[in-house]
Amino acid sequence: MNYTEILSPKFEPETTGTTIMAVIYDGGLIIGADSRTSSGQFVADRCADKIDYVHDRIFCLRSGSAADTQTIAKYVRYYVDAHAQELGRLPAVATAANLFRNFLYEYKDSLSAAIIVAGWDPYKGPQIFTLPLGGSVIEQKWSIGGSGSTFIWGFCDANYKENMTLQEARAFVLHAVAHAMYRDGSSGGIIRLLNVTKDKIEREFIDYKDVPVK
Amino acid sequence: MIFNSELSAQQQHTTSPVVTGGSVIALAYKGGVVIGTDTLCSYGSMAAFKNVEKIAQVSKNTIYVSSGEYSDFQQVVKELAKIDRSALQYDDGVHPSPRDYGNFLARLSYKKRCKINPLYLQNVIAGFHNGERYLALVDIYGTYLESNFVTTGFASYFCKAIISNYWNENCTLDQAKQVIRECFKVLFCRDCRAHDVIQLGYVDEQGVHVEQPERVETKWDFNGFKTRANEKLHTQ
Repeated sequence: MNYTEILSPKFEPETTGTTIMAVIYDGGLIIGADSRTSSGQFVADRCADKIDYVHDRIFCLRSGSAADTQTIAKYVRYYVDAHAQELGRLPAVATAANLFRNFLYEYKDSLSAAIIVAGWDPYKGPQIFTLPLGGSVIEQKWSIGGSGSTFIWGFCDANYKENMTLQEARAFVLHAVAHAMYRDGSSGGIIRLLNVTKDKIEREFIDYKDVPVK
Repeated sequence: MIFNSELSAQQQHTTSPVVTGGSVIALAYKGGVVIGTDTLCSYGSMAAFKNVEKIAQVSKNTIYVSSGEYSDFQQVVKELAKIDRSALQYDDGVHPSPRDYGNFLARLSYKKRCKINPLYLQNVIAGFHNGERYLALVDIYGTYLESNFVTTGFASYFCKAIISNYWNENCTLDQAKQVIRECFKVLFCRDCRAHDVIQLGYVDEQGVHVEQPERVETKWDFNGFKTRANEKLHTQ
């Protein structure tokens, strides 16, 4: 047994050990995420924004390696922008999801990335696509991801309802993310919420003192 | 001290910790020594146990805290508590001093290190004896260091600068406590395995005082945090 190995610190790559969540409600969808980016035990960024812009009504939530997911999101943002320019109208959420999927699937042996693509389009309304590690694409009404999600599967299964109102969905996401942050050492800080509807995007910053579970 | 695991040569004790306690910070002040620790025990990356009071009083004038494997900490508390009890057998009214505890722990840790079966702990022992303050760090290998200030874990990286700038060995108890609180604020922001509820305990001429757990205030509502790079990409 290598004695020195157990006791020396190892450098860990920067990841978004994280809690991310998206829920469709009657009229739009709510996205929520914590704000901690960790490098092993060190908090590299305590106020990160894990809700990445892909297009005017399409967002992605990143978990896994921060470097991998940021780069992929950058490429997909570019492709979707070019595509939307040619299309002349809002792109489909499924299109963005498929572009993410191509990266995650073709490079599955080199990447550590799991992404939730969430947005609204005029063709099918609010949609959520979960893209786990291997590159599969699964459409869902609600999705949770990141290391913190393991702690709230029970909570979410018990409390999710179809066709919630905006207030119900917001409270659901806020409490679920708060509960995950309460127990997951790799999640923490403040909560960022985003409400995506046909007409607008609304960002919300939940200060640490307003997080419901501490 | 015979640990049952050492009777069987195959068994190893703590090669990788399971339940771990967080950083410990201890400062000497004019008239005593104060220790601070948070109230969290982590199970890997999970914040499993959030109300753990980790400041152990091992004798009338000595307190002991450690970071690392929590079960090893509990075992050491048992071993240290035995020392004073067995000293009663001499019936001479002599009680072990804080330094005796520190020395004992250093010898014990070194012995286990030599058997490649360490107590997975960074230990802090603080006390007040014969008008003198005592503060020592004993690490996983049995290295013994007496000092006026001691930090373990992540606090060694983040808090030494704060301590250097805001503390001196003749400050008041309240000043020392405030420095410790500031250190734990930084730790809560930057250590994944830290919690913002901390507990302070101090030893002075009157003896040991362990306070109730308290929450430290951290600031998160900076404008820069609210409006971050991603915002600028929104075209609305």
